[in-house]
Amino acid sequence: MNSLHGRAASRALIPAALSVLAAIALSACTANSTDDTTTIAVSITDDACTLSETTAPAGDTVFAVTNSGTKVAEFYVYASDGTKIVAEIENVGPGLTRDLAVPLDAGTYVTSCDPGMDGGDIRADFVATATP
Amino acid sequence: MLANYLIGLREGLEASLVIGILVAYIVRTGRRDLLSAVWTGVGVAVGISLAVGTALTLGPRGLSFTAQETIGGVLSIAAVGLITWMIFWMGKTARYLKRHLEDGLEKAIAMGRGAIIAMALVAVGREGLETALFLWAGIQAAGSTTAPLTGAVLGLATAVALGYLIYRGAVRINLRIFFQWTGVFLIIVAAGVLAYGIHDLQEAGVLPGLNTLAFDVSDTITPCSVAATLLKGIFNFSPASSVLEVFAWVSYLVPTMWLFTRMAFGGAPKPAARPAPQQAPLTTTAP
Repeated sequence: MNSLHGRAASRALIPAALSVLAAIALSACTANSTDDTTTIAVSITDDACTLSETTAPAGDTVFAVTNSGTKVAEFYVYASDGTKIVAEIENVGPGLTRDLAVPLDAGTYVTSCDPGMDGGDIRADFVATATP
Repeated sequence: MLANYLIGLREGLEASLVIGILVAYIVRTGRRDLLSAVWTGVGVAVGISLAVGTALTLGPRGLSFTAQETIGGVLSIAAVGLITWMIFWMGKTARYLKRHLEDGLEKAIAMGRGAIIAMALVAVGREGLETALFLWAGIQAAGSTTAPLTGAVLGLATAVALGYLIYRGAVRINLRIFFQWTGVFLIIVAAGVLAYGIHDLQEAGVLPGLNTLAFDVSDTITPCSVAATLLKGIFNFSPASSVLEVFAWVSYLVPTMWLFTRMAFGGAPKPAARPAPQQAPLTTTAP
């Protein structure tokens, strides 16, 4: 191996790796709970999924997903077609509450709780209403 | 607690095994001076993950789903590139060992500190942010129950312990066998990381075909089971995989494995391919 080239290549790798990590810090963020956000409590058990509201004004929305069951759960917000993922939070272990912050445009969505992550999910419609 | 323990184990396992192998590689090739580069990369990745995880949990801004998935996907693909590079160092070393034993090994495997730092950084950073956010959820729940946090921390500790055991095992076996079989193992790991990265990009909507499944065995291998956790944690095996994921997995694995086995298990390099090695001091034996 030409060690000069090897070293030049590895020097180029550090900025590359750092810039990817910098992207973590700088990339598109979304608001956590503030005055302008709506917080929806989502309660998951091993066989049920309850949302505190099924409508909310369009805009920054935080789903506070609490898992009171025994299985690891995931929570999804799908577009109205029920397949395109708008947002997802995984690794909601038993006893944990994890926030999923998502900016919602006015329209209809499908929420889904998946206790056990086995695809046997519990779905419901969710509506974001246009704000005047 | 068990469920959260398995999440911690899964999130930490692959990084821990890659770092364990990387450290064993450095120690066995007599380059202990490069160990600080590994710990620098690990330290920076853990530091950034914790800092960003803390800022996202406590600060006014959260990370959007698309951004998190895109970052996860891009970091995964970067990790595949770096692990592949490491694999071919190993193949090259194994081939060299066949001809020259350990004499002059250092020249054959010359590698920069930067490459090592980058590899440790990406291997740990890939799942670092999600792990930090997961730990923060455990900390926030600790007011009512400490079981989730305890489980998560014990899971991560188990992952680190398994990485250490891999290292201990790897410094004992025959050097050429070490390079050959860790290379084969890492190729399967890297193929899984690639498929996982593709899945992240499909979830983010950057790539199509998320719901076009090649197979779905989640009834047989339930995602919450210990078997699924280990398969996911080490090989990124997903019980329900999309066609594109499987395509990427096969497209990476088959040619890489072919090239690697030809290099690592095949004949010695032609004498003309490299100048006569200088007599290097025998500093390359295992400790």
